[in-house]
Amino acid sequence: MSQVTEVVKIRRKVFAELARMAYTGTLEKDVSTILNTVVTEEGPRYRCCVHKERAVLHNRINLALSQPMTISIAEAASAALQGNRSTMPVMNVLPEACDQCPIDKFLVTDACRNCIAHNCMAACPKKAINVVLNRAYIDKNKCVECGLCKKSCEYGAIIEISRPCERACDLGAIKAGADRRAVIDYEKCVQCGACKTTCPFGAVGDKSIIVQLIQSLKSAKRVYAILAPAFIGQFGFKVKPGQVINALKQMGFYDVYEASFGADLVTMAEGRELAETLDQDPKSFLTTSCCPAFAGMVKKHMPEIADHVSTTVSPMVATGKIILDKDPEAMTVFIGPCVAKKAEAEDANGIIDYVLTFEELAAMMVGAGINLAEVEAVDYHTTASRDGNGFACAGGVTRSVIDTAAVVAPGLKIDAQHGEGLGDCKKILQQIRSGQISANFFEGMACVGGCVGGPSTMADQRVTGKLVANFAAEAFAGESVQNKPVVELLAKGGHWHRTLS
Amino acid sequence: MQKLVLEICVGTSCHLLGSQDLIQMVENLPAEIKYKIDLQGATCLGACGKGPNIRVNGTVLSNMTPEQLKQIICDTI
Repeated sequence: MSQVTEVVKIRRKVFAELARMAYTGTLEKDVSTILNTVVTEEGPRYRCCVHKERAVLHNRINLALSQPMTISIAEAASAALQGNRSTMPVMNVLPEACDQCPIDKFLVTDACRNCIAHNCMAACPKKAINVVLNRAYIDKNKCVECGLCKKSCEYGAIIEISRPCERACDLGAIKAGADRRAVIDYEKCVQCGACKTTCPFGAVGDKSIIVQLIQSLKSAKRVYAILAPAFIGQFGFKVKPGQVINALKQMGFYDVYEASFGADLVTMAEGRELAETLDQDPKSFLTTSCCPAFAGMVKKHMPEIADHVSTTVSPMVATGKIILDKDPEAMTVFIGPCVAKKAEAEDANGIIDYVLTFEELAAMMVGAGINLAEVEAVDYHTTASRDGNGFACAGGVTRSVIDTAAVVAPGLKIDAQHGEGLGDCKKILQQIRSGQISANFFEGMACVGGCVGGPSTMADQRVTGKLVANFAAEAFAGESVQNKPVVELLAKGGHWHRTLS
Repeated sequence: MQKLVLEICVGTSCHLLGSQDLIQMVENLPAEIKYKIDLQGATCLGACGKGPNIRVNGTVLSNMTPEQLKQIICDTI
């Protein structure tokens, strides 16, 4: 299956068009033309009619402008141009796009042999199963979707089907509402973005700030980019880091920092925190805090172990703080593969102004008429250690903390475990807590593969994971502790924990 | 032997619209077909926004999908 599906293309075309109009200053006047250019009378048609396509597009445009879906496109565009952002959550269901999947949860397949035992009928507490046409039949009016029939069938002839969004969410935070439209339960949702990448109708999306950011870039403000280490290879496997840096400068960013620089700092602070935790109680454990969806999952779904989550800030926030300490007037923009970072930034006490995904950045470049393949590469070397860059891949944080601990706390014995995917993380944490697994350090990543597998990446993580490792290998130092500017920053005192402001 | 010259645009606009999927498809073709193709990268084929774009034996084709490209390769070789 190809990665860039038709739904993905439409979303990206909307971003690129909005960016182009924002750059040329024609957004307010021309925004409604997107309804005729991204979707045309001639098709291709994915929904019942062109009017439905446009209704969906209206939802998509408003979300891309970070405005409520209920207002008109013109109002949304003008609000975005003024820099306004709605306080809506990061992840949203696009009501027009949701196909209200009419899925019956349990289905009898051709494998049913109309056996003599009829375990399914015996197991059903509602007497919802009859034999029709020589096969078991589930009466939907009586079925309460308990699943006992599926469990009882010796042939495995009854299958369970669920909506893609429901299945993608390990936390049970998205369900069909009364009208069968998907509804997100924000008490449970941690904005990981799994439902967005899964929905084949493109009916879940994250709000974007492309237009607001372009307005800031056009102004006299000093806008700094904080580039996540997963950026390597995202814009084409042959695009060099120096080309991306140059393109960002051409777009009007005042300077570019790597989040991996902050990751070096986080490694040292977290390593110290781990040593202190184990010093107080050798049987305790500490989990990472850099993945906001993972940290959110512990907070919302496992509050009993919330005090085991490291209080060290994420590399994004650490880097933002470093920039603000140097330039208090700075505007900070994190650019990464993640949508949960959008929510994290809103809670980061003003340290991060905007979060942009790789996908949104590429669309902005297209809108600005910048073609990375033709941009000259500036000479660029990473400002972080190999380990700091390694934060982009699952297992990287663990390696970084272990390497640094070996230097700064040689006696510390780290017994590490890691989880990829929220369901996996939850399961392992429960096992650590109950003593089934021994570990004193746990790395939690909401995405399989770590950040290179994030919901807003643009390239195959099997390749980008290797490219990140190659880039990291060229770093001036292996371990975070050898990053002198970071060591100097820490030596200045102050703290790098959650209450940072 | 005359090889089929296939250029796939890797410019940012085409990358955004999925040119990587086209390259991956060509690279995963069986060796007996792949050796008949001269795969080249192009940085822009002048049809941005309608991507991903390719050029086969000099003709630019837009809105390409991996399935369509596979068909074109099979028909041409």
